[in-house]
Amino acid sequence: MDLSSAKVSGADKLDLCRKYFLGGFALLPFLWAVNAVWFASLAFRAPPFAEQKAIRQYVLASAVGAGLSLLVLIVWIVIFNQYRADWGAVADAMSFNIPTGQP
Amino acid sequence: MAAREEPVPVASARNMGGSRPQSREIQTSTSSSSFLPPGPNVIIRDPNHDGPAPPLNPPDRTAPSRSRSEPLAPGPPPRRGRGAGPGPEPVILDEEEELDLKYGAHHVIMLFTPVTLCMAVVVATIASVTFYREKDGVYLVYTPFHEKNDDVGSNTWEAFANAGILLGVIAVMTFVLIFAYKYKCYRLIHGWLFLSSLLLLFLFTYIYFGEVFKSYNIPFDYISLAFCLWNFGVVGMICIHWKGPLLLQQAYLVFISALMALIFIKYLPNITTWVVLGAISLWDLFAVLAPFGPLRILVETAQERNEQIFPSLIYSAGVIYTLVGAAERPAGEQDDDATRNAQDTESAPGPPRRPPRGQRTGSTPSPHDEADGFDRQWVRQNQNQSEASSQQRVIPPPRPLEMEEEEDRGIKLGLGDFIFYSILVGKASSYGDWNTTLACFVAILIGLCLTLMFLAIFRRALPALPFSIAFGLVFYFATREIIAPFADTLSSQQVFF
Repeated sequence: MDLSSAKVSGADKLDLCRKYFLGGFALLPFLWAVNAVWFASLAFRAPPFAEQKAIRQYVLASAVGAGLSLLVLIVWIVIFNQYRADWGAVADAMSFNIPTGQP
Repeated sequence: MAAREEPVPVASARNMGGSRPQSREIQTSTSSSSFLPPGPNVIIRDPNHDGPAPPLNPPDRTAPSRSRSEPLAPGPPPRRGRGAGPGPEPVILDEEEELDLKYGAHHVIMLFTPVTLCMAVVVATIASVTFYREKDGVYLVYTPFHEKNDDVGSNTWEAFANAGILLGVIAVMTFVLIFAYKYKCYRLIHGWLFLSSLLLLFLFTYIYFGEVFKSYNIPFDYISLAFCLWNFGVVGMICIHWKGPLLLQQAYLVFISALMALIFIKYLPNITTWVVLGAISLWDLFAVLAPFGPLRILVETAQERNEQIFPSLIYSAGVIYTLVGAAERPAGEQDDDATRNAQDTESAPGPPRRPPRGQRTGSTPSPHDEADGFDRQWVRQNQNQSEASSQQRVIPPPRPLEMEEEEDRGIKLGLGDFIFYSILVGKASSYGDWNTTLACFVAILIGLCLTLMFLAIFRRALPALPFSIAFGLVFYFATREIIAPFADTLSSQQVFF
């Protein structure tokens, strides 16, 4: 899919951007991140076209959503690793991989 | 051989279909894994593909060189075409051959990156994750013999039997795919491809990251893992099967191939791997070149129907350009282009749209211009040479296969090729000798270059495995059996110190 192609109309781009944005709500912040990066130049650097304003909004919202999700994920990982030893068996059950070696 | 299309607008009937994606000339080899359907591992070059990505094409970067009449002007480049245009002329054809070699070289570099990346992932994994190196007594169903005998003879015999069985499975699967395609069971094929990529993107990725985390001792919890895997997998499915950034799609395809190669390296018995590599390149040769070779049928059918071969089977290199183009594109040109494009589709969509592209690329000289070692001077020299020599050559009549006019979107390489290249290099590295690994890596790239050169000469779908695998095998065994012991002896005798 090539966004810079002249054959892709503005409406199509908007539709795609919207679908990516909506798809992100299915716990898919990576989709938001992709959306934000992919459409960024179209939304902010490309010469103005009819749908640009809407695309810009979606791109901004996607970027915010992706950033927040990343933050939440990092915070969770930090918390988990901080308290893993304290939580005992519960944390062990939650662990995909338990590091070996020195505690 | 094909005629070159002149820059003048030619409103032929063929050109009227400029807006639909057209098929291309393809270079194929087998796919063949139990998971990736036995599809085409294809190197396709689609010259003049009026597909979704017109803005930037490899030929245009060096567009000026295409036209002898205006050697350095950044103006409209005459496009090469196939069986089209105002009549094939010997000189033009021959010049095109030269240019094909040139773009062949460019394409080689376009393919080096993904192939190298894929091999790098595999080699790095093999080197750091012991799971993929060690045999734990589990094998694929397709290899019923496990080479557990004491004598080499029986093991070799078993390896050949395994390879035969595996090849049979591959052949059957390929024919199933061809029949499904021939009779337009697209649902079956898409479902199949969907399932295989689902399996790779979720299950095998899960196993892979499990082993990676284990070997790097990284603590990870199931909640984050589920979250990450869900994101990774779903975005991958969207990019591969629906719409997504092309760079991301390429990355996913490379990763999938690497995973597949790792699976093969782990689960194939030792000697069987080498025999399979040899057998598969022979199969590739047959499938692509024989008159009834399945992949040839696939390619030709796809061309007849003006369709793309399934994107989940093929890595396409041309798309990089479109990304670069999007970045380099001067503001204000887009609307221009759009209107021009709209006009084009109404009247004669082919040639008139080409000039803007040439201007754009001509005005923004990029590092790519000389990246492949062919600068303008070289081109000019060669043009002179070809002028001198072209008169004597014989031009074969255009093949029916190449009759269609397309826009160049660059070259394509089947995922199966990625997989088997990586298997060879990964297997070589699994013995822990970096000399051997590097030798195999270089050998495969040499083979790839050679294949692409032949692609420029023969201008039809070619198998990508035989040269590379042959070189790879020769380099592997030569390095392992001769060069490495020799070097060891030299260093133990301290010849160099």
